[in-house]
This record gives sequence, C-alpha cells and structure tokens, in this order.
Amino acid sequence: MKAWRILWLALSFLVAILFVWGWQMLADYRIVSPVFLPGPDRAWRSLTLGFTTGDLGMKFLSTVERMFWGWLIASLLGIVLGAAIGTSPRLRTYLAPTLEFLRPLPASATIPVAIAMLGLSDGMVLSVIAFGALWPVLLATIHGFAAVEPRLYEVGRALRLSRPAVIFKIALPSASPDILAGMRLGLTVALILSVVCEMIAGRDGLGNWILLSARSFRAPDLYAGVILLGVLGYGTSVILAAVEGRLLSWRKRAR
Amino acid sequence: MAAAANMTAIENDRPPTVISFDTISLSYGNRVIISDLSLDVGRGEIVCIIGPSGCGKTTALRMAGGLVRPSAGSVRLRGAPLTAPRQDVAIVFQDYGKALLPWRTASANVSLAMEAAGVPRDQRQARIPPLLAKVGLAGHGDKYPSEMSGGMQQRIQIARCLAQDPAVLLMDEPFGALDAMTRQGLQDEMLSLVAETGTTVFFVTHDLEEAVYLGDRVVGLLPNPGRVGIDLKVSLPRPRNQLESREMPEFLRLRRELFDFIEKAER
Ligand SMILES: Nc1ncnc2c1ncn2[C@@H]1O[C@H](COP(=O)(O)OP(=O)(O)OP(=O)(O)O)[C@@H](O)[C@H]1O
Ligand SMILES: [Mg+2]
Repeated sequence: MKAWRILWLALSFLVAILFVWGWQMLADYRIVSPVFLPGPDRAWRSLTLGFTTGDLGMKFLSTVERMFWGWLIASLLGIVLGAAIGTSPRLRTYLAPTLEFLRPLPASATIPVAIAMLGLSDGMVLSVIAFGALWPVLLATIHGFAAVEPRLYEVGRALRLSRPAVIFKIALPSASPDILAGMRLGLTVALILSVVCEMIAGRDGLGNWILLSARSFRAPDLYAGVILLGVLGYGTSVILAAVEGRLLSWRKRAR
Repeated sequence: MAAAANMTAIENDRPPTVISFDTISLSYGNRVIISDLSLDVGRGEIVCIIGPSGCGKTTALRMAGGLVRPSAGSVRLRGAPLTAPRQDVAIVFQDYGKALLPWRTASANVSLAMEAAGVPRDQRQARIPPLLAKVGLAGHGDKYPSEMSGGMQQRIQIARCLAQDPAVLLMDEPFGALDAMTRQGLQDEMLSLVAETGTTVFFVTHDLEEAVYLGDRVVGLLPNPGRVGIDLKVSLPRPRNQLESREMPEFLRLRRELFDFIEKAER
C-alpha cells in the first residue's frame, strides 16, 4: 500500500521532469519560434525577476484574494440556499426547472450583463465570480441534503432532537461529502473567472499581467504568469483535499 | 377512567397498562391499513407482534412510538394520549445500517440520545462506557459503525436506546437481518437487560419461534385491514434457555398454534 504510493509519486514526478525537459528541447532547437515559446529557463528567470524587482507578487495576491472572496461568498450562499431547497421537496419541484435552465449558462456570459449593471468595478468582478462558483456548490448541496437517509430524520424525531440539532448533527454532516465536492469545483470556477474578469475588465492581477505580456510580446512573462496560475490551482486543490480528508476521515475507514 | 383501568388490572391479575391501543384505525388516502385495533401492554411485559407481511406491524409500532398518529381512536401511554415521540419510549429500528450516524463513532452515536435530552458533556462521557459494556461493546467505543459487524451495529443502536433510560422499548424486527448464532446471543442479552430494569417491550418479528421464546404474550395481527387475530399467553418459565425452553411441550404447542394462525391469515 505504502510502497505503491511512493512508486506512484515517483512516477508522476518523473512525468513532470520529462515534460519540462521536452519543453526545454522544443525551445532549444527552435522547433517553435522563441517569440511564442521561450524555454522553461527563461520563463523561470522572468518569474523570479517578477517577484524580486517587479510587482508579480502583488498581482498574484490580488488574484488569490479575488478568487478566495468570490468563492467564499459562493460557498456560504450555496450552502444556505442549497440546504433550504434540498430539505424541502416542494421548493425542489418548483425551482428545479429554473435551476436546470440557469446551470448550463457559461459563467463568462454573465460578464457583459454584470458590466452593464455594475460597471467595471471590483464589485462587478466579485459578483461574477461568486455567481459562477455558486452553481456547483448550490447543486451539490441540494443533492446532498435531498439524499439524507430518511431513517436518520426519523431517529432524530424519535430522540426528540431540536430542529437546529437535526440540521447540524444529522443533515449537514450527511451532506458534507457532496458539499465539499461542490466547493472544490466552485474553487476551480472561481479561479477561471478571476482571470477572465481581470482580462476583460482590466483589474490588476495575473489575468491582466498575462494579457498585457501577450500584447507586448513578452513571452517569458506570459509563461511566468501561466506557471503561477497552475501553481495556484494545484495548491488550492491540495489544501482542499487535505481539509476534505480530515473532515471525512470516517469515510475512509469504511470496509 | 384510570381507576377503572386499575380495577380491571387487579381483577385479571395483570400489571398496570403502560401502552394501550384503544380501537385505533389508520388510513392512508382511502386505503385502510389498520382498523379497530385494541391492545393493552402491561408494565414489564414483553409482547411480541407477529403477522403476515404488510399487515401493519411496523405501523402499529410507529404509532406506539408517537411517530404516526391514528386516524381514529387513541394510543395512550400510562393513560395519557400519546401525540409525539417521548423521551422514555425508545425505538430500535431493524435497519441498523441506516439508523446509525456513519460519521460518528460508537460512543458518539450513543451520545446522540443524551445530547438530545440535554445531558451535560461530562455526564455523557461518564455514562457511555457502562452503556457500551452493557451491550457487550466495551472497548469498541472509538470504532465507526462501518468497522463493525451487523450484530455489533445493532448493539450500538440498543445502547443508544438504553441511554434514553426507556420505560418502554419498541423493537421492529431488530434481529431479523442477523445470522442465527448472533441472533440467539442478542435475544438472551436483551432478555437479561430487560429483566434487570423491568422495561416494557413491544417486539415486532416475523420469526414465530423468536416470538414465543422472548414473549410473555404473542399477539398475531390479521391483514387487510390490520387488527388483532390472536392473543396467546406464553407460560414458559423464566429465565429462558435457548435449548431447554425451545424443547418444552408448551413451546411446541404455541409454535404450532401460531404457525396455523399465520397460514390461515395469509390465505
Ligand atoms: N406512508 C405510507 N403510505 C402509504 N401506505 C403505507 C405507508 N406506510 C405503510 N403503508 C402500507 O401499510 C401497510 C402496512 O405496512 P407495515 O410496514 O406496517 O407492514 P408490516 O406488517 O410491518 O410488514 P413487514 O412484515 O413486511 O414489515 C402496507 O401495506 C404498506 O404498504
Ligand atoms: Mg415491518
């Protein structure tokens, strides 16, 4: 079991090294013009330079902040609304068609609407991110609450648990695997929308940095930004997976 | 009213009534599930309910637990109408796998009953180990239900019910899903627990031998609509013994009578 994990890690590490090496080869032999594809060495130099002398760190932080707040609002709203809808069969039948209609709309399509209503403000950006990240959380939460074992509610009644106790001791823990999965998806959406909004609305951040670098043919800077985005996406998903593992440790013990 | 009930209790040399179904009926829509069912359960009595599938055994038990209210007639607990679940009436569900919280350990599952009753944390911590020991789960408190066998999971549920300090224990085919050896073990454990505390037991089962082995009385329900069809007194000596009790002529006679009853009822 443990040996497998180590082997697995070593293999994925090897793949990553091969990837960087292949990238370097592509650049060194000028298979793709260096104007469009600088090697990892140049991207890395640009990255360190951006952090030490430039303001790449600030841009990174503002993207992180934007993503985080949007995601947090989406999560809180999604959990509260999802709990209300998920526990009420009547609300569910009324709202299901509307939700199904709104869900497949690409979140970036809401940006022009938001700009029209809120202008090119930070408030607009935050609402677009929150709105987009809301869907995965909301739908997963509805499903989680709707799928609570009815017998457990009956146990709650038989033990005469209060209503808040039923919600916090039975329904919420039971729905938590679904909620956390939805929040994980929501975080990805929040990151994508942060970048897109920065590009479209010109807010300071990694998205804007990438766009400006591309326009002025600073390819190494562009790749530095893309690398940072990858690191950000990977890092947040690792953190969330760890939180999930802790909160749901009871599931791993099953059989 | 209560005095009159007491009078009859003395006349019949029966313990005072704890649960009483007074000509109750229940319909879902225009389908009559139970009709004019009357049944009294005395204090400390173990009454086993049998009957063909779908005759309303579970429904009757849920009414005794205050989870369902009859459409007509009344269910009373010690003379007072029962309108909602009560702290001193505990229910053991058949599907232990669904009735336990999978994200809570055995201890925490038992704790739930006391949390509901507002028992402070330190008292809960103190009471849990003896409760687990009572059902033979000493030292298993930190395990999750999914790490335990079916028999052990059902024991957690019983411990959770005992945590309510119940005067009445309602059990719906609690051992139906267990293998024969585990079932017999749990039957005897339940009998000795109940004998210790004088708890009244309303026990639904589809196993006729189990009904005779456990019960002071066995009540058979007739289907469509559910009503009492037979009410037999079991005069086997206690404590019962898995081998000897089951070989007694009285046991065999009752088993035969119930067997014939079920056969007729199903026709
Ligand atoms: N909520 C409900 N709505 C409609 N009908 C119901 C409901 N609950 C039970 N019934 C019906 O009532 C009848 C009695 O059900 P009940 O579960 O009490 O039977 P049972 O004697 O416990 O059967 P089994 O031995 O199979 O457990 C069944 O025909 C069932 O279909
Ligand atoms: Mg039943």
